[in-house]
Amino acid sequence: MPDGPLVALRNITKTFGGVHALSGVTLEIAAGEIHALCGENGAGKSTLIKILSGSVQPDSGEVLVDGSPLATGSVAVSEAAGIAVIHQEIVAFPHLSAQDNIFIGREPRRGILLDRAKMRSEAQRLLNQLGEDIDLSQPVGDLPVAQQQMVGMARALSHRCRLLIMDEPTASLSARETTVLFRIIRQLQSEGVSILYVSHRLEEIFALSNHITVLRDGRWVATEPTREINQDRLIQLMVGRELAQAEAETKPATSAERVLLEVRGLKREGVFDEISLQVRAGEIVGMAGLVGAGRSEVAQSVFNLDPRDAGEVLLDGEPLPAGSVRRAMQRGLALVPEDRQHAGLVLPMSVGANLSMASLPSLTCCGLTSARREDELIQKLMRELVVKAASPKLAASSLSGGNQQKLVLGKWLARRPKVLILDEPTRGVDVGAKAEIYRLIRGLAAEGMGVLLISSDLPEVLSLSDRILIMREGRISGELSRTEATQEKILALAIPAATAQAA
Amino acid sequence: MKTRLAKFPFWHEAVLALLLVALLITANTMEPRFMRLGTQIELSRHLWEIALLALPMMLIIITAGIDLSVGSNMAMCAVTLGLLYEAHVPMPLAIGAALLVGIIGGAINGAFIAFLRVHPLIVTLATLSAFRGVAEGVSLARPISGFPASFGLLAQGTFACLPIPAWMFIAAAIVCSVILAKTPFGRFLYAIGYNENACRFTGINVPRIKLLLYTLAGFMSALSAIIFVARRNTAKADVGTGIELDVIAAVVLGGVSIFGGRGNIVGMLLGVVLIHETREFVSWHWNNDELILVVLGVLLIASVLLNSLFSRRSRSD
Amino acid sequence: MNPLTLLARRREYAVALALALTIAVAGIVNPAFLAAGNLRDILVQVVPAAIVGCGLTFVIVTGEIDISVGSSMGLLAAVLGQLCSPLHAGLPVWVAVVLTLLAGTLIGLVNGLLVTVARVPSIIVTLGMLTALRGATEMLMAGKWITDLPSALRFLGTGSVLGMRVSLWMAALVIVTSILFARNTALGRRVYAVGSNPHAAHLAGLSVGRIKIFVFTLTGFLVGVATLVSVPQLSVIESGIGIGLELLVVTCVVVGGTSISGGKGTIIGTILGVGLLGIVRTVLIFLNLGERSVYWERAIQGGFILAAVLADNFAQKNKRGEAHA
Repeated sequence: MPDGPLVALRNITKTFGGVHALSGVTLEIAAGEIHALCGENGAGKSTLIKILSGSVQPDSGEVLVDGSPLATGSVAVSEAAGIAVIHQEIVAFPHLSAQDNIFIGREPRRGILLDRAKMRSEAQRLLNQLGEDIDLSQPVGDLPVAQQQMVGMARALSHRCRLLIMDEPTASLSARETTVLFRIIRQLQSEGVSILYVSHRLEEIFALSNHITVLRDGRWVATEPTREINQDRLIQLMVGRELAQAEAETKPATSAERVLLEVRGLKREGVFDEISLQVRAGEIVGMAGLVGAGRSEVAQSVFNLDPRDAGEVLLDGEPLPAGSVRRAMQRGLALVPEDRQHAGLVLPMSVGANLSMASLPSLTCCGLTSARREDELIQKLMRELVVKAASPKLAASSLSGGNQQKLVLGKWLARRPKVLILDEPTRGVDVGAKAEIYRLIRGLAAEGMGVLLISSDLPEVLSLSDRILIMREGRISGELSRTEATQEKILALAIPAATAQAA
Repeated sequence: MKTRLAKFPFWHEAVLALLLVALLITANTMEPRFMRLGTQIELSRHLWEIALLALPMMLIIITAGIDLSVGSNMAMCAVTLGLLYEAHVPMPLAIGAALLVGIIGGAINGAFIAFLRVHPLIVTLATLSAFRGVAEGVSLARPISGFPASFGLLAQGTFACLPIPAWMFIAAAIVCSVILAKTPFGRFLYAIGYNENACRFTGINVPRIKLLLYTLAGFMSALSAIIFVARRNTAKADVGTGIELDVIAAVVLGGVSIFGGRGNIVGMLLGVVLIHETREFVSWHWNNDELILVVLGVLLIASVLLNSLFSRRSRSD
Repeated sequence: MNPLTLLARRREYAVALALALTIAVAGIVNPAFLAAGNLRDILVQVVPAAIVGCGLTFVIVTGEIDISVGSSMGLLAAVLGQLCSPLHAGLPVWVAVVLTLLAGTLIGLVNGLLVTVARVPSIIVTLGMLTALRGATEMLMAGKWITDLPSALRFLGTGSVLGMRVSLWMAALVIVTSILFARNTALGRRVYAVGSNPHAAHLAGLSVGRIKIFVFTLTGFLVGVATLVSVPQLSVIESGIGIGLELLVVTCVVVGGTSISGGKGTIIGTILGVGLLGIVRTVLIFLNLGERSVYWERAIQGGFILAAVLADNFAQKNKRGEAHA
């Protein structure tokens, strides 16, 4: 079958509780191509992946492999047909060894017992192919995150797959590991493996893919050869309207303003050291760096979530003693954490309860919370932040990623903080909500709030920040002003020296 | 209509209430004497220890915790009370000491759970053995009796028609429901049950709340132990054996989710009363204690089963 | 790695050391403790906990729990007694044995189905079973004792083959099979995978539900086996058999290093835990501390769990410190 597509989806429809996750989607993936799948959150990408991998059964439509229909809804059948998935989260069994992780579900056997020798040699071969030297018998949970990801990759490769689906594979990888990943992807492609590549990072899509398919609201929008499309056009297809480019407005110099947050020589043994920085009123200070450079850890230490071994934190000129988050909050500090679902929100609780969570003490008199004042606060926040929710009584989990992020922001803005630390505020947020969040951040700074913005999205850091600090391996490796900063300069400061030379 | 029915938030309480009404009507036709007020008040004497313990247990289970050690803690408190009385310590002082022992026992649980972050099931499984062991070791498992009649009044006396323990329970239940519904503390309990990490990021002092909860459970264990000893006029190291299971069963039957985050006081009360009435009625009518166990076991599983069936349906709607 | 760290990190070593030290101390204070007869008595005593412990280890490794094993043993003992006692059903011993094993397996299967298909949390299911099965046992026995067990059945409890008690052979068989199963079979590894990360297990195409049903059923079966080799040692069958067994076994499994949140735990750890908790009483007697010391048995058993918990905490802190260095 040299001419037909390797895998084809025809007219796939899937509804969840009356909502169309996919309606009539058709998609063809040729043998040996890298096919990118784009769309905002909720466009139906993950449902499509789940149908291909067999963990979800479509309501109608068919999946063809080599022109013949595949029995959908079974992981085993999809695997047998050569379809493998590398999931967004690091899917591993932390208590099991690397070799058990690689072969679980398809263990080589001799009689009723496992063929340990074969498992060992196969695992070794696969990991060598990935250029990783991993202790095969150690529990995977004890390995560094990047190595865990590589074990997941080895697992996918062990299938001898024909179609490899990668769902946001670089979400938790550093730049160096991403490079290794791209090399492997291209190598697989040259061996004739097809790849369905799903990512929010448009640069990656343009760097890798042959074709791009765009989904919007569960429908197919377009499939185009990558070289015939540019970034603006792609965004327009994803969003369905033209987005104003992130405007690079010039702002008045803020150096005359008061210093709201000052960190002096902050240190946490083995995590970061010699961190000193200042955030002035009305200023947005960006913090760039690779994943694992220690940015979130600094933020959590400043916010007193984590202990500090040396150094001091000053708010409005007064030192903030270590140990109590509550104290940091009372002194006007707020932290919007990176992990919305596990740290930012209590998803099963209502939109309203989440919004008022950090301000309950101020709504409480003689130990009792005033329901009326709480409602007023919730209504006000929902209006100001344009939270799209039918009622504040709905569970926060029912909201989209962008609206959930607004809830986290609202929860902290309700306290009127002096300094707001944002850790990856737009991760997993779709393009439309992103623009609204940018506008909000700018507005807050204009009102005189100090903002410390941690982000791995370089265009975001560049367009929002007045100054940019770059962290490398737990230390601040440089500072760039708004005018001198470029993506290249930031990366040069962010990449560790040893690997920079090797690259 | 069907959709609205499934979305009705209090169906669990409604089902429990219906079951209770059905049981009471049946009881009334079969055994009119059982349903007399005097009989009910008399029978309620078996209820108060479980009911008092159900309050802190509900709060703990809402935070996705559990306390298996309440019964053993009761034994420690009862033995303290007995031994001190034997040693001619004045009764009020002995009662104070028993309360203190209960609080310390609870605080030990709380410290391990809050500060060492050990799973509550493990900690309280350990203290379930350890507290009982201490009670047995200190008292050599012999019964102590002959408490003064005035002490017995604590359990047997009445005030405004109701037994004194009933008043203690009513007061505690009112405080508990106000805390759950109206205070930040109550809101935080639910939040901790759903997502402890997010609470930490919101500046909620999770360890302090947990320490407080398990210490409260210790205090209530002591109170229950005192009532128990006053009622039976005997203190022995086997006081409260297995009561933790009765209490947990009542709380879970009342719709408090063992995974945390869900539950309210009305459901819990219905659960406690339903178990109590079932037990007393079966025992009254059939005089068959074995049957009660079977009925209670099945009731517990069935109620949670129904709960999961209903919530699944309402989710898919 | 310093030896203390190693002990804290590998629970098996720590428990083995504690066990060896306890035996040594007891042996030095009172050499009669080390007499072959005494050691055999101890082993025979811990057989039920060891056999049930193997099953429960797997249940806890999948992240579930089964606290019905004690009541289940009580019911199975009653069933066994009624089936083969000449005054009751009077069936041939082998029929009674098979039916008892089947009944145990069935109880386990019901637990497993309620947990997976009906999605009732296992602590609730087995708490309900703990209560209901005990009630059923009492109804079945109706307050009477069964004393006329046939001698063929007694052989299972007190007979010897090749100089070793049948019950010890059986325990050894169960333990060795369980170790092999855990380490060297696909299903065994999958049991750990399910407990380690159920979501990932589902994505890897494993049937999480079926694996959980299997471990519950296995535990039910092993309760049956434990009943067969331990109950015939007793001169009477009454309704109180097995009370508190669930707490003892869960304690042993936890002391042996199995994590209550799933994914981690070994059979050897559990067996060492059974050994350590099983000898407490005998050691207290042999240490000549006076009759009263036996009353502290449960306090010491509870103390073992707290010690294990503290060791874990120490190991974690140590690990973190090491990662920073």
